[in-house]
Amino acid sequence: MPAYRVLDVGAARIGVYSPIARFHADLDTVYPHQSREDPAAFADVRVSLLPDAPLLRPWKRQVSLWSEATRPFDPYPRDSALPLFEWGGNWLIAQRLNAYLLLHAGVAARNDRALILPAAPGSGKSTLTCALHLAGWRFLSDEFGVIDPESGLVLPLIKPAALKNRSIEVIGAHPGAVLGPVFPGTRKGDVAHFVPGRDSHDGRHRPARPRLVVFPRYQAGATLSCTPVPEAEAAMRLGLNSFNYRALGTVGFQAVIRLARESHAWELVYDSLDSAIETIENLLERAP
Amino acid sequence: MSMSARSATRLLLQGIAGPLQLAESDWEYVLRLARMSGLHGRLAAANKDNPALPAPIRRHLLSAERMCAFNQQMLKGELSSLAELCDGQFPVVLLKGSAYFLQGHAFTRGRFVSDVDLLVPREHLRSMEQRLRSAGWKPAELDPYDERYYRDWSHETPPMRFPGHFLEVDLHHAITPVTTRLRFDPAPLFETSQALPGTPFRALSLEDQVLHACLHCFQDGDLSLRLREVADIDGLLQSAAGLHGFAECLADRAARLGLQRPLWYGLHFAHAWMGTLQAQEVLARLEAPPAVCRAAMERLVPLAMLPSDPDFPPSAGVHLARLAMLTRYHLQRMPLRMLLPHLARKAGLRMRSRFAGHAPAQNA
Repeated sequence: MPAYRVLDVGAARIGVYSPIARFHADLDTVYPHQSREDPAAFADVRVSLLPDAPLLRPWKRQVSLWSEATRPFDPYPRDSALPLFEWGGNWLIAQRLNAYLLLHAGVAARNDRALILPAAPGSGKSTLTCALHLAGWRFLSDEFGVIDPESGLVLPLIKPAALKNRSIEVIGAHPGAVLGPVFPGTRKGDVAHFVPGRDSHDGRHRPARPRLVVFPRYQAGATLSCTPVPEAEAAMRLGLNSFNYRALGTVGFQAVIRLARESHAWELVYDSLDSAIETIENLLERAP
Repeated sequence: MSMSARSATRLLLQGIAGPLQLAESDWEYVLRLARMSGLHGRLAAANKDNPALPAPIRRHLLSAERMCAFNQQMLKGELSSLAELCDGQFPVVLLKGSAYFLQGHAFTRGRFVSDVDLLVPREHLRSMEQRLRSAGWKPAELDPYDERYYRDWSHETPPMRFPGHFLEVDLHHAITPVTTRLRFDPAPLFETSQALPGTPFRALSLEDQVLHACLHCFQDGDLSLRLREVADIDGLLQSAAGLHGFAECLADRAARLGLQRPLWYGLHFAHAWMGTLQAQEVLARLEAPPAVCRAAMERLVPLAMLPSDPDFPPSAGVHLARLAMLTRYHLQRMPLRMLLPHLARKAGLRMRSRFAGHAPAQNA
């Protein structure tokens, strides 16, 4: 068995093997709080990031992600092993964690009262989640709202947040923000990974109770507007922003209904992160 | 973790028949092999009430169970849409997974289907295809060469899908390609087919289902889900366990259709890997393949078809075995004078896409 490095990110454990030194240095940067786990202990996902054989295309240095003896994705440039690992790892997690309802959402919490930010890509949910974390909220995830249908609780899945293009400067400008290296010109543009703080990492096995759902939409130049979303509509929109709502059938239906009933839901259009955070703080105080 | 892929595969095949008792790390390894061979749903079904499951394993099996329930729900939906196109003017036979499912065979608990395969008499092929198209199913977009390949040399039309549906529909007029040495007139398949109660569909007789599963197992280009096919052969034979004289009927049927060789291999590997008891009785009635072929298959088939070590890319030996099996498949499928230009063309296309900067898709 290869010397897997097992990362415990809360709701999942990810094993990764690679002979590429640069990749391990990048992992050290964006997973600084991980301790060395037993490489053979259970992992939900195991992948290897291996350099492609140079015979095939000697003029291109590439890296492939291997999972269960296949390569599910096209290779990336050798220096971009980290974005490939993050992106491919998320894809594999979404395939396998169907014991849970998986929302496409950022999640942050105060005193274990969770805010869920379900949104389509490009709506600014990662940026907003990171900004909330920098303002003192616990970081649970910037990508997956992992809902346990049995308890109704949201489980942390603490991976570094992939910030794209302008978000890199916006979040990077915050004092105290820790970012990994910038990978220019990936398929999603420039990407850099924001590193959640130690406290959030330490709380990775502590679930939170969903209390507030905010559908965020970043709009340059917009004046902040905040409108309540009725329960039924919130439930529907949660289902639409899910990786596996349809596949879970009645289990998924019950889970979004419960989530909508037990929290307040709002739609938030914003331009300034600071005023968005202030509004959200107020909304959480009024939430059940 | 000290397990080899081979010994874990043995555990996996036990695990789809009944509950397993394993340490957590061994369970993880078996689960990975199950995913590779598309058997994770069956593993979940057989271990649903297993009290000895470690918590993370229970979670993953629950995940597989839910995905399978969804898959079967999609199958039901597809079949009910397809039922509306059948008016009884000609027989529409369901092949493989969807037929097993409607027949309620025990081994369909947790069995994923990847598509719906329909068999209609050749003279009604165009009419059925037309019905599908007018009802909204769309054929996969193919270049004219691939289109002609399907039309002239294959035994099915290009796959069709209703926009938004999860499952593909493959329409067949035979169960062997028209160019293969093993081709036979499919009329007897329809004669002995059986109605599926409560539906307008029919299914092949159990004997023909076994023959088709064996044929498909060793006559197809894609090797990744082959272990699942052997598990199907085992499951079908177990369904036949109580039927008097089944072994004899199956051997006779194989002789009539000229399918003794694929049947022999299918049963041989079902017996070798899964200990299928009923296989031996049939094997005794069949002529074994020549020793040279047999020895080659004994070496190649496990390498090519059993899951390789999930921790590593497939070894050179595995690649070679798969190449050999693929060559065998192509040679049986069409004569060399057709095969060589076909492969040259495919290789040319692949090179072109590589130089154009698109990596070829995996397993393409």
